Amino acid sequence: MKMKSELKNKKYWRSINQLVDSPDFRKKLYNEFPSLDTNGDDPIDRRTFISIMGASLALATFSGCRRPLEEIVPYVKNPEDIVIGQPLQYATTLSIGSTAYGVLVRSREGRPIKIEGNEAHPSSLGGTNTFMQASILGLYDPDRSEHIYRKGIVKSWDQFVEFWRSIRPEYIESGGEGLAVLSEAFNSPTLHSLKQEFARQYPKATWVVYEPVSDENISQGIKIATGKSLLPRYNFDKAAVILSLDSDFLNLETDSVVNSRKFMDSRRLKSERDSMNRLYCVESSFTLTGAIADHRLRMKSSLIGSLTYALAQELKRSGLKITLPGGLGMTTTGSYSEKWLRITAQDLLKNRGKSLVVAGRRQPASVHVLTTLINEALGNVGSTVDYYDSSQISQSSIKNFASLSTDITAGKVSTLIMLGGNPAYNAPDNFDFKNLLKKVRNSVHMSLYRDETGMHSDWHVSEAHYLEAWGDTRSLDGTTSVVQPLIEPLYGSHSQIEMMNLIISGLDTNGYELVRDTWTKIFNRLDDKAIWRRTIHDGVYKGSEVQTVNIAIQSDTVTDDLRRYAKVVNKLDRKALEVVLMADSNVFDGRFANNGWLQEIPDPVTKIMWDNAACISPKTADDLGVSSNDLVKLTLGNNSLEIPIWIQPGQANQSISLTLGYGRDQSGRVGNAIGFNTYKLRTSDNLDFGIGLKVAATGETHAFACSQDNHSMEGRPIIREATLTEYRDHPNFAPEMIDTFPLESLWEDHKYTEGYQWGMAIDLNTCTGCNGCAIACQSENNVPVVGKEQAALGREMHWIRLDRYYNGDENDPEMVHQPVACQHCEMAPCEQVCPTAATVHSKEGLNTMAYNRCVGTRYCANNCPYKVRRFNFFNFTKDLPEVEKMVQNPDVTVRSRGIMEKCTYCIQRINAAKVTAKLDGRDVQDGEVVPACQAACPTNAIVFGNINDPDSAVSKQKKLNRNYEMLKEFNTRPRTSYLAKIRNPNPLMEKV
Amino acid sequence: MAQIFPRWTNKMPAVLILIITGGLVSAIGFFWYFGSPKFTDVGYRPKQPVPFSHKLHAGDLGMDCRYCHTQVEFSAHANIPPTQTCINCHKIIATDSEKLLPVRESWAEDKPINWVRVHELPDYAYFNHAVHINAGVGCVSCHGNVRAMPEITQSEPLSMSWCLDCHRDPDMNLRPASAITDMEWKPSDDHLKFVAQLKAEKNISPPTDCAACHR
Repeated sequence: MKMKSELKNKKYWRSINQLVDSPDFRKKLYNEFPSLDTNGDDPIDRRTFISIMGASLALATFSGCRRPLEEIVPYVKNPEDIVIGQPLQYATTLSIGSTAYGVLVRSREGRPIKIEGNEAHPSSLGGTNTFMQASILGLYDPDRSEHIYRKGIVKSWDQFVEFWRSIRPEYIESGGEGLAVLSEAFNSPTLHSLKQEFARQYPKATWVVYEPVSDENISQGIKIATGKSLLPRYNFDKAAVILSLDSDFLNLETDSVVNSRKFMDSRRLKSERDSMNRLYCVESSFTLTGAIADHRLRMKSSLIGSLTYALAQELKRSGLKITLPGGLGMTTTGSYSEKWLRITAQDLLKNRGKSLVVAGRRQPASVHVLTTLINEALGNVGSTVDYYDSSQISQSSIKNFASLSTDITAGKVSTLIMLGGNPAYNAPDNFDFKNLLKKVRNSVHMSLYRDETGMHSDWHVSEAHYLEAWGDTRSLDGTTSVVQPLIEPLYGSHSQIEMMNLIISGLDTNGYELVRDTWTKIFNRLDDKAIWRRTIHDGVYKGSEVQTVNIAIQSDTVTDDLRRYAKVVNKLDRKALEVVLMADSNVFDGRFANNGWLQEIPDPVTKIMWDNAACISPKTADDLGVSSNDLVKLTLGNNSLEIPIWIQPGQANQSISLTLGYGRDQSGRVGNAIGFNTYKLRTSDNLDFGIGLKVAATGETHAFACSQDNHSMEGRPIIREATLTEYRDHPNFAPEMIDTFPLESLWEDHKYTEGYQWGMAIDLNTCTGCNGCAIACQSENNVPVVGKEQAALGREMHWIRLDRYYNGDENDPEMVHQPVACQHCEMAPCEQVCPTAATVHSKEGLNTMAYNRCVGTRYCANNCPYKVRRFNFFNFTKDLPEVEKMVQNPDVTVRSRGIMEKCTYCIQRINAAKVTAKLDGRDVQDGEVVPACQAACPTNAIVFGNINDPDSAVSKQKKLNRNYEMLKEFNTRPRTSYLAKIRNPNPLMEKV
Repeated sequence: MAQIFPRWTNKMPAVLILIITGGLVSAIGFFWYFGSPKFTDVGYRPKQPVPFSHKLHAGDLGMDCRYCHTQVEFSAHANIPPTQTCINCHKIIATDSEKLLPVRESWAEDKPINWVRVHELPDYAYFNHAVHINAGVGCVSCHGNVRAMPEITQSEPLSMSWCLDCHRDPDMNLRPASAITDMEWKPSDDHLKFVAQLKAEKNISPPTDCAACHR
């Protein structure tokens, strides 16, 4: 078959080293124990090790003679509902900026231990992302602020209250003259009403909102286009054709969790007869959205505006009634072909009302003006995009931040209250916020961490974590939800609403009362108590959604704005090097820098752990004469920064992208002195990208810990993908891609026809590669964090990894992700070589690990073709601070040094479901066992269940013709199978 | 030439073999017996902060096990009762007993009592009380005749092989639900018939996979 061989010849690679088959890569590949390759700089050699071991063994023999005394400490009064050993789940809401994510938190004996998505919440729909999953570790972060400080001296909350009461009369009298609040973006009904109260109480005071990564451009653009304060919510499930302009809507834009779900709903192919949506993506740096795209166009972020204008013109030429002012004279030439533009425009036109153009938050407001015009003209408003009133949301405003800094410089601010945030670290560099703080008489910083800002403020007040305090939030569609604490504040901290209430009224009121008051007004009904209980239980107030807002284009303001923008674009030096500053997939804007889980999870695109880098395309790197790991000095205007280069296939030429959030010095033990502080290049003129970057080599190099070549499975058809057309011609391409001869076993086969037979199916077509499953697994299964040094040796412990493959030209490849965990083979190579029978098969087809039997020979890992076994080179858990140990799941053994471990299909969840079913006298139902990865997946790409039941969801998945088993030719008979990836390129485009 | 070695040395190899084998066998036997949980753990009776007598409460007074261990039927753990449970009665009975001082203190100061654990499994073994109780395994099977114990004592080795003995052949340890907490219950003559019926009805097939307890 011709087609088959073509698909087979697609070459996948993970790194440029592999593509060019460099000696380094081969060395790593053929090294039998890459994780032992310490380059000879290990301080302890083999002999020293053995002598130390001998001595400690002799001592250990005697210390084992006494039985350890263990205590049982029951309650004095048993709290209602708590059954020892049974988890409880509570609904609450996590806010990141003005976005709210509904979560369900599992609590054991009053200790929150795991986060799941809340199906009832519109921004989760049951899915989670890495930030939601990892927020539980933030609660137990030993570096969290525990105290209240005044000029570095520990004070109490009462002393702070006293302090405020002593200066409050002065502000009451002056109407708040000299009083200012600087908060993060929020959408909380209670905080919003406090803000209004604040304005009434102190009419001359100011309230400024600042977020380093915000939707300000989007909301500004829509305001210009429609004259209203609105924000969009996208219905990707209704869109057949989507054009993304520098928007990473599947990963880092607002509402990415629900975006992913809805987008992938149109990609769940049941057979070759189904249809799927098509995604065009224009972007500068490779993102997860670009990886999913059917057509990806690399382009500098600074040129995307002119492409958008050219597209609008093209649509107008093709007869679309679009309110586009003519005669702007905007230069529209760029690194795209006219044909690309025409075909894309035609595809959008063909799908009026079912198409969608999305621009990213880093594109300027005028680009959002253009996309609003296009969506309106295409009839997408009300179908694929809905607009909601955003006047209740306190959004970031860089203009207000600038005027606050002017006021401070002029000495007009005597008291500055900072609610969260870390402006001393993440404010645009030109404001020099650290020094501004010195000019304020009383600066008060309330935050989870005593960070860069906290260290430079007079007062630092520790803030309660969202799992410790009452609060509330609202989603864009109006759905209001309660933030419900699960645990008393570990350090007696207070919440932002309690702080603001104190500032306004001088009263130290409990947060619960404040929230309850607001909600009495929200409900405004007689059965208030019942509905409040219902809301707390559900996590959301059902029926609080608001109407979408109809829009009408304001052609005057649009014309003015686009005229101005045309001048900006025309002035651009189109050949100059640009720098793009964007949020980081792991630490976002730096707020998660001290989270070990997020630091160690490899970046979904670069696969770098514990670092950030300057990503650059292979061609531009050649032009500049730099290569990966080279430390370079980047200069933009008056600002400069030293950062190592990372050659990133698929990056736009002449564009260097930097992620924010690293290089912190007051983040804590985990996040300090890791990576490079890219805020140094960020000024209020180039918040998102800057042009005219200069690169100079320093002659030094930097060592990255990167997992892209770890656990490599050399050159085999591991990823299987086809285009929709190819799939229609060859429906069985995936299973037929390899030639399998009749496979027979050396041993007598087990009979797996009785009882439960567990299995998993992973749909590569709906996986975005977001790492959500990996963090969920880490949280559920007590997977340790090993640190950068160990990770660089390939000793990271994640039970599920996201393999990222490229294929095609090194400058412009496609990207595919594949989650790989233990495949639970029926003929498991690991079981056959274990000398102690520590890893054996269960009757239910699980490949199980008995940790206490493992002696650490690592034969199993060596024999595993999927490279999914992880070895504890050290006891990574023993020396953790006590408070951090509280995050551990008591249902899973904490592994010690010298033990092999791997995915168990969440055996603790299987057993729990079996026990529940047994006590009820029934069988386990389909969908009752949900492993942590499946529960977390925002796109439902992972399905798990009983493959012995032909009607179970997983059996149905496995019956689809895209189903294939990885490395089936080895006769391992894996229980996990994959559904091949299908791309849907435009047939017309292929000829471009 | 005179012999270097006297004649009796001819027996040396045999004697040596005998001594070495005997030594090895007794060493293995020593550890086999004295190192096993049957020897080291059975009879473990640590001193408790309160000299609580199961014999008095469960035996003489005839209280049901589940009056205190309330969650044993539906949770993995047979909970140690909160101080509140003691106080239910002891606010009236023996209110000035010196032995009960820690209980009254705990109640007054809202501080828990630190009991010493007797029946302890390793951290990597996950035992579930509820499934065993519901399948018909009586308390006495693992905990011995608690009603006769003035101080709680470990009566079974709780070792893996001991667990597996029952998991492989549970018949003699199964009993009707009505007799779960009965310490004196004896199987009837047609016990095996009853067991066969119970096993079919409740689908009892004790797992022997590692993953049943280890995860």
